[in-house]
Parts: sequence; C-alpha cells; structure tokens
Amino acid sequence: MPSAREPFSSEQFISARSALVRRPGPFGPGRRLELTELTDAWLSGVFSASHPLADGVCLVAVGGHGRQELAPGSDLDLVLLHRIDPRRAAVIAQELWYPIWDSSLSLDHSVRTVAEARRLASEDIKVILGLLDMRVIAGDPVIADQLKKAIYSDWRATASRRVGELRVLVDQRRERFGELSNMLEPDLKEAYGGLREATVLRAISASMITDVTQMQWQECIIFLQDVRDALHQVTQRNSDRLLLQEQDAVAQALGIEDADELLRQVYTSARVIAYTSDTTWHRVQRLTTRTSRPGLRALKKGGPERVPLTEGVVIQAGEAVLAIEARPEKDSGLLLRAAAAAAQAGIPLAPHAVSRLAHESPALTTPWNQSARDDFLSLLGAGAATLPVWEALDQVDAISALIPGWSVLRSAPQRNALHKYTVDRHLVECVIQASALTRKVDRPDLLLLAALFHDFGKARDGDHSEVGADLVEGVLQGMGFQPEDIEMVVTVVRHHLLLAETATRRDLDDPATVAFITERISDSQTLDLLAALTEADSIATGSAMWSTWRQSLIKDLIRRSHAAIAGRALPEQPKLTEDQLVAIDQPGVWVVMNEVADGHELTLVAPDRIGLLATVAGVLAVNQLEVRAAKVMTVGERAVQVWSVHPMFGELPRMEKLTDQLKNAIDGNFDIAERLRKRDEAYRPTVVAAAPVVDIVENASEHTSILEVRAHDAPGLLYRVTRAIAATDAAIMGARVSTLGSDAVDVFFLVDRQGNPLSEQHAAAVKVMVMGELLQPLP
Amino acid sequence: MKLITAIIKPFKLEDVKVALEAAGIHGLTVSEASGFGRQRGHTEVYRGAEYTVDLVPKVRIEVVVDDTDADRVVDAIVGAAQTGRIGDGKVWVSSVESVVRVRTGERGTDAL
Repeated sequence: MPSAREPFSSEQFISARSALVRRPGPFGPGRRLELTELTDAWLSGVFSASHPLADGVCLVAVGGHGRQELAPGSDLDLVLLHRIDPRRAAVIAQELWYPIWDSSLSLDHSVRTVAEARRLASEDIKVILGLLDMRVIAGDPVIADQLKKAIYSDWRATASRRVGELRVLVDQRRERFGELSNMLEPDLKEAYGGLREATVLRAISASMITDVTQMQWQECIIFLQDVRDALHQVTQRNSDRLLLQEQDAVAQALGIEDADELLRQVYTSARVIAYTSDTTWHRVQRLTTRTSRPGLRALKKGGPERVPLTEGVVIQAGEAVLAIEARPEKDSGLLLRAAAAAAQAGIPLAPHAVSRLAHESPALTTPWNQSARDDFLSLLGAGAATLPVWEALDQVDAISALIPGWSVLRSAPQRNALHKYTVDRHLVECVIQASALTRKVDRPDLLLLAALFHDFGKARDGDHSEVGADLVEGVLQGMGFQPEDIEMVVTVVRHHLLLAETATRRDLDDPATVAFITERISDSQTLDLLAALTEADSIATGSAMWSTWRQSLIKDLIRRSHAAIAGRALPEQPKLTEDQLVAIDQPGVWVVMNEVADGHELTLVAPDRIGLLATVAGVLAVNQLEVRAAKVMTVGERAVQVWSVHPMFGELPRMEKLTDQLKNAIDGNFDIAERLRKRDEAYRPTVVAAAPVVDIVENASEHTSILEVRAHDAPGLLYRVTRAIAATDAAIMGARVSTLGSDAVDVFFLVDRQGNPLSEQHAAAVKVMVMGELLQPLP
Repeated sequence: MKLITAIIKPFKLEDVKVALEAAGIHGLTVSEASGFGRQRGHTEVYRGAEYTVDLVPKVRIEVVVDDTDADRVVDAIVGAAQTGRIGDGKVWVSSVESVVRVRTGERGTDAL
C-alpha cells in the first residue's frame, strides 16, 4: 500500500480500499481511521491534480467522514469551500468529482463560499449538523477555519431558539424508524438510540446549552459502528438495517456467539444512548423554556419552586426529585412511591433521584407491604407515562431488583416475524395497552399484573406459557399478593394464548370449542381478564396480530364463551362484624381510628342521611388521607362506615382535629368544597389511562339499585362521585369502594327517599350526574 | 397449468394443508379474507349492543398446479374443508398462462 503522503492512482486506491474493507475483524475506531486516512490520501492527490496552486480553495469532509469514522458503505461527504470566481470553482469541482464518481464510491458533494455555507446553515439544521464535524482534507486551511469558527459561534448564539428544530427532526426520525433498543430488525443509524443520536448529542454539547453528562454512551456508539462495519462487510451494501437474514453472518463477523447475543448487545448499547438522549433533551427543554427557567422564580421565592408530590418526593422544574427531608437509605418504599407518583403525574423521575434511589434504598422486605403493592400497580397503571419512568428504573437495574428473573428478559430478542419488540419492551408495551382496557374488567390490578408477566417464561426453555405461569406464582408471592388473586393471574398467564389460538384454529360453531375454553376458564371475571389481556397482547405485538380479521374471530369466541358461562355474580352488600354491631348503639357521631396490618382503619357511626358518605369522603380528602377501600352500610337510622386509609404524605392528622372536622362537617359547619379547592391548587393533574365507566346493573336486586363506577383514581374522587349521587336525592344504603393501584372500582347500593330501588328515570339521572362529575377536569 | 383458489373456514386451514401435502402439493399461499355468500352474515348481540356481522372471516388459499393434477387437488381441498354447514366456502379453478420461479428463472411446470 502506498504511504499516505505520496499521491497514488485511483486504481491503487480502489484495490487498497477493497482489501481493507474485506479484511476480517476486529473492527473498531482504528480501522475506520485507517479507511478515512486512505481515502483522504487519495482525495488529497485528486485535489492537487485538479488545482495545483491551492490558494483560495479547500476540500472539506463533513459528517461521519469529517469525524474520521468512515464505514465500508459510507458516502463520502465533501464540500469544496472557496473564495474565488464561482465559475472557476465549478471547473475545479468537476475535475475533483469525476475521478470519485469513476471510482464508484457514492458521493455527497457541494461547492460553497463561507457566506453561502453560513446562510444555508441558518436555514437548514441538517447543514449545521454536518458542518460541526468539518475537517480539512486538502487546500487552504484558512477558509475552512473561518467557516468552522463562524458555524460554531452562529450555533451557540441561536441554539436556544433552533434546538426546537433539531428536536422536531429527532421526533420525526423516531416516529419513522422506531426505537433501536426494541426493534427486531433495527436501522442502526436512523432508529432512536442509534448512530444518528451521537451527532445530535454532540450538537447539543457544542451549543453549550447543557453538557451531555453520561459518558458511557460513547463506547456504545463505537460498538454500533463496529456492527455497522460488519453489516456493510457482510452485505457489501450500504444499508444500515440489520435484517433477520443478515444477523447470523454479522454476529460471526464480529466474533459474537450468535444472532441473539448480537442483538442483546445492540439493544443494551441503544438503551444507554437513548437514555442519555432522553435525559439530555429533558435538560435542554428545561433550560430553554422561558417559564420554567429557574433564575427569576428562585429570586422571588428564595429557592427553586418545589411542589409536594408524595411523601419524600417533590416536583421541581417539571421533574420528580427527592424532597430535602427524604431519606432513601432508611425508606425502602421510597423508590416505588416516587416512581408511581412520577408516572401518575406524567413527569420523569430526575436522573439524580433515580440514581440515589437505586444506590441508597434498601431492598423491600418480602412479602411486600400494601403500600409497595399499591405503588407498583400505580406505576403500571399510568398508560404511556409508565414507559419513561420504567425505563429510567430499568437503566439502573432497579426493575431487576424488584422482580426476580427480570434480567433474563432484559433486551431479550425474539426471532419471530410477528413480533416487533424485544421481550421486556413487549411486556411494558402490553401493560400500556392494558391500562387502556382497565374499565372492561372487574380487577384492573390483576389485568396489569397479567399484562406485565404474561411472557415471563420467554427466553427460557420449555413452553413459555407454562414456564411463565410457574415463575409468576413465586414472584407474586414475594410481592405479597393474596393467594386467590395470584391464582387468577397465574391462570390467565398460563392461558394467555388460548383465545387467539382457539379462535383461529377451531370451529366456533362446534360446542366442543366453547367447552374447550370453559373447561379452562370457568368464570366470567377471569374470561374478561383473559379477553382484555388477549387484546392488549395482540396490539402490543404488532398490527398484524389485531387485524379486524383476527379480532372478529376472537371476539366471536369470547361472546360464545360468555354465553356458556353462567351469568356474572352480582356484587353483594357488605355485612357488619360483631364489633361494628356494638358501635351501632353509640350515640351521635362516633369515630375511632385503629392501626391494622399495613395501614389504618377508620370506623365511623353516625345518623344516616343523604350525602353522609360524600361528607366523610370529603373530610378525608381534605386531610390528605387516601382511601384504599371502604365498606358502608345502613342499619335502620344509623350508618356504619369502615374506611381503610393511607396518609398521602406519611403522617396521620391529629385524631381530635379529624374527629372535630368530621362532626362539624356532618352538622353542616365545614365548607368541604372550599377547603378542597384550596388544597387542589397545590395538586398535580394526574394522567388518565382510560375513560371512566358508570353503569347501573340491570335487574340486580329487588331492594336496591346497583351503581358501578370504574375510574382512574384522583384526589377527592369519592367525594365528587358521592356528592353527585346525593345531588339526585338518591340514598346510599351500602357501598364497596376499592382502590386497586391507580384504578378505583366502586359499587353503590342505592334507594330513593321512600326506600325503594331507583326508578329507571332516577337511575339514568344518577348515571348522567356521576359521569358529568367524572368528566369534569379537576379544579 | 391451473390456479386453484379456495375460500374456506379459518379453522379448516390445518386440515387442508395436511390434505394438500398428502396430494403432493408442498407450496401454497394463504391470506386472511372476509366476505359473505348466500348466508349474508347475521346479527349478533354482544354485551347488550346489537351489531350486524356482514363480513365473515375466511381464509383464502391459492395454489398453482399442473393441468392433470387440478381435479385431484380440488377434491383434496373440498374433502378436507367440508363440514356440511352453511359457509363452508368455495373453490374455483382458472387457467394460468405462465409461471416463473424468481430465484432460478425456471418457467412453466418446472417452476411449480
């Protein structure tokens, strides 16, 4: 091979280049530098031949070529910069480009003066991205230097304004090519978290808006570049898409065990890059959005504005951060509490908080307590807002610490043409889809768990449904769920393919087909769960799995199976325990708070009247007590209410104060609406994963009408619902209220003033009032 | 050569595949299809809401065979797809002028 200094012929260059790009691995930056230097030496010869004097003209490489990162299939990205007569420049350019075209390398080329290049850069952000990496190959370095300085200073001066354009490009690219870390046939360059992100991150860094803090991403970029080199070598083309059919050969070229391992490593790198990009963009947005710029507010209020979100967690500048008084090292529940609160508020967990929580928080003791379970479910039930928080936790291995066995699924590829995501991402995607279907089932919490765990047996030996069902049982036991709930989730996991497979492969008209289902799924509650999981799973897998064709078959099977299962069991009114019967005889308003396993139970006995439940729910909301569950019943003239409550910020209110407030409120001397309005000013709007459902159960009972309400939980929700019921003059004879993670499932047993079930008109009015209340935005 | 197109009930696909293999046919094209025939679809009540199923899900199978095999293959499909009830489907045969195998460029019956 000729030395880089002496010019050599195109033939020599082509043969040296071809030897280099065919050379077996290892790949690496050194090899890309070698290819760049070889190419530059030849270009420099071509340049001297086209323009021996070299004054006022200069050949510049931009983009990846500028960064000396040429891959075998890369385009040459060249600019002829000049300050001479444009006609003469055009002649030189022709002499320069023709030998390159003849060598059959692909070439991106342009001829510009410094002023032209600056003007174009001011119009098109892509031009800036290219020029930030410019590097002189041959000719007059002064012009290049002049342009480089101008481009950097222009970019810095305008970046806070123009960074938005860059963001649009990133979003469009992400939309079109997906995310590298979870595509089974990813585009290494264009997918989000791929090679293109390096260019963007460097541009942000060059703008001086913020620094790109994590450094690990650069090694990840180098790995992806190696994979691309190998891909180009294997295919002898310049496509950057890592197709299924090439994956084995690429793995072999890289000396990696097999295609699965190759993809695992690609995904791991892509995750690091994407996470770096996410957090960097988050900072960029914070620093460039005027209203949240810390300076002014900090001056006015004597510190950056912090709004309490949950115990130990505050919102600051659009992120969830740890409160000053938070003690992660002593508070094992803080990680899930912070994650749930951030996801429910639709904001990210600040990277600093994530890393502190991951490193300082002690592990949860098994079995988990009620709060940990609630928080875990709330994290799952936040719809699309779950994903960024989940990813942030997974990035620091916090998910693997919570769920034994999760690490096996992390970035696990699936060599399956129907799937588009990796196993772990598919599971989270399925949870997101499931959270939109929570109103279709009696137990939204179990649906979310089944969605998260349905493919838990993948990436292991054996039938993944069976293996998964066995593993999930242990995991859920560790989380402390009730045995009967675990059993239901395990059944659904075991049979998660049952509906889809049966519907497309067996004769739906044959009674044996329906019997085949009902032998395995014997009650309508489980069938509803399985139906919702099938839908969520199919949508999360890929569009082909939920085609109208498949939907019609599956829904037909579900309908037939429902018809074969005896009707749904009606909810029953709660009954009094012995203790509560004693309390019935207490005079006036009687309140007691007991500490019970995993929380507090408030029992209240008072003279019954329409609106009593709303009043008590309102006072609890004012005192920032979250209602986990409630049972309400009326006996004669007296109402007994048993509330399972949880203080939102860790501390219970003083009992005398709470009792006084309850008594005053029942006497009508406490303005709940006003107090709640004041409190709500400091409150965050929460995400809503699915629209509320309000239903009157038909022909339910001779004695009462049954109203079912399923909605995303929100502060004061029960107060608002029961106030709406009271406004129609309906009395609540009994109620079962439960909060399952972030979903509220409430049943009310209603009568009119005469003690009869509601008339059809009255029931319709209740439905309208409650729905109207639920659809109203929070104040 | 003949193109045999069959519209059958989805759950009969496996049986038809087995029957075709037994008849010496090793390649076929399958697609999801919807349609209706004489039975016109029907009205369903699902969760209280009535809706009309006017397009019934079916599977469409296509296979190209030599003229002499056509009758035998049609019989194999009909035999496997039959339940005797409404909506079992249809099979039709059409003439094919030419077939080329993309990989090798072979033409005519060699390409089958």
